[in-house]
Amino acid sequence: MLNYFKTIYKVGKSLIQGMLVTWKSFWQPSITVQFPDEKLITPERFRGALTFDKETCTACNLCVKACPTACISLEPAVDPATKKRIAKVSWYQIDFGKCNYCRLCEEACPTKPIKSVRHTHQYEWGMLERKEMFVKWERMSPSTEPSTSGSTNMKPI
Amino acid sequence: MNTEILRIQGQDSKTEEMILNLGPQHPSTHGVLRVILKMDGEVITSAQPDVGYLHRGTEKLAENRTYPQMLVISDRWDYLAAMSNNLVWALAVEKLMQIEVPARGQILRVIMVELNRIASHLVFFGTYGIDIGAYTPFLYAFREREKILDLFEEVSGARMTYNYIRIGGVMADLPKDWIGRCRSFLEWMKPRFIEYDTLLTENPIFQDRTKNIGILPQPLAISYGISGPNLRGSSYRFDLRKDAPYCLYEKFNFSIPTGKNGDCWDRYWVRIEEMKESVKIIEQALDLLPEGECNAKVPRIIRPPMGEVYAQIEAPRGMLGIYLVSDGGDKPYRVHVRPPSFINLAVLQEILVGMKVADVIAILGSIDIVLGEVDR
Repeated sequence: MLNYFKTIYKVGKSLIQGMLVTWKSFWQPSITVQFPDEKLITPERFRGALTFDKETCTACNLCVKACPTACISLEPAVDPATKKRIAKVSWYQIDFGKCNYCRLCEEACPTKPIKSVRHTHQYEWGMLERKEMFVKWERMSPSTEPSTSGSTNMKPI
Repeated sequence: MNTEILRIQGQDSKTEEMILNLGPQHPSTHGVLRVILKMDGEVITSAQPDVGYLHRGTEKLAENRTYPQMLVISDRWDYLAAMSNNLVWALAVEKLMQIEVPARGQILRVIMVELNRIASHLVFFGTYGIDIGAYTPFLYAFREREKILDLFEEVSGARMTYNYIRIGGVMADLPKDWIGRCRSFLEWMKPRFIEYDTLLTENPIFQDRTKNIGILPQPLAISYGISGPNLRGSSYRFDLRKDAPYCLYEKFNFSIPTGKNGDCWDRYWVRIEEMKESVKIIEQALDLLPEGECNAKVPRIIRPPMGEVYAQIEAPRGMLGIYLVSDGGDKPYRVHVRPPSFINLAVLQEILVGMKVADVIAILGSIDIVLGEVDR
């Protein structure tokens, strides 16, 4: 019988001690960020969605080789007069369904001072269909406008 | 009179063994683990873990990836302690290529791995509380873990899949003022352990539910190849950081906590003490951090010489090893991972037998598995 009350006392005491901890935390300022209204500032090295600069790219294929999931594909441009490859890209495509956000492509990119393919700080990006995950940048736009251009797709929903 | 009739009636009725399927969608199995329990009433007579629901075949994938690309995949094994996975892969390739990493790179690795150990044990602390039935510690543990992940985000740019520790060093040096923020975190972290003790460790209900439950005897632990806090909980002092130091661990002054009985409470207590030791190690490492380069010179295309190598580290869950065979090309010939979680999980079928069904989750939680590493 005595043990019974001893146990009740022990458990009740630890309950109150535990509640004291939560009571102290109750008066601490809240650390919750009300996300859509408030946003945290991403650090400088943050690896967000990739972006691509179609003018500076030399179509060297190093990012394609560096990518662990083979989500990058590109085609070098061809000079229409001489039918030879030039150090420009014709189109460049990233499959964001496969992308690991690992920065190996950015590190492999040799263009200076700003890398052609690089991570942005953008982390809000919703897609409704799988084909939207393929983001294509086209440098030589023929007669028609490109159907999916990177800049329009990169906008947050 | 009534009870007598019931007793006589009960003598005729037959009892049969019941099979209970725990998981793979059970929220307390920490992922997709299925345990087939055979029960006689409430007592477990046989338990069979069924793994493989998260199998991604990363060991086979490695044969089609170059060495730096495999670092990205290694993040996905033990996703709660991805820095350790990066480190062991980098150590294996460096051992094969005989690259000597500069002291600053080594100390940076130690800081990151130990911070990640705290983050990983905090997840254990929080989720183990939930398994037992205490929700509050989880919120406290994740508040602290969030601060560690913020530190990692500043350093590596990601919160879980860091890809920070590279072959030959680290991704980049520390950002500005990072050391100050890390120190203030450590100062902030120290009084939190007292909170944890009040909330969970010293709670009599928690102690009743974990003490003398799921006892893992030392000989059984050794014969099953258990490592990490589970082995140390069974009062066996074995820690690769002391026994086979890597990354300049011999320079640090820390102790290895061990339990007494090898029950759930000992395994829990060892992890809590390890967090305190990790704080000490990080403080010493921040003091030790030398100036200079943090990366060794590594060829642009990594082609290790032909040969085989085994590298191992003390990950938060135990001994994490990589067996790597190279044929001289830019891709590994064969990779085998020695995952601590998978090997620790195997002992579940022994220690669950004879326990009550209500203790299954307490025992499973105390082993602290990560299914990403169990299945790979």
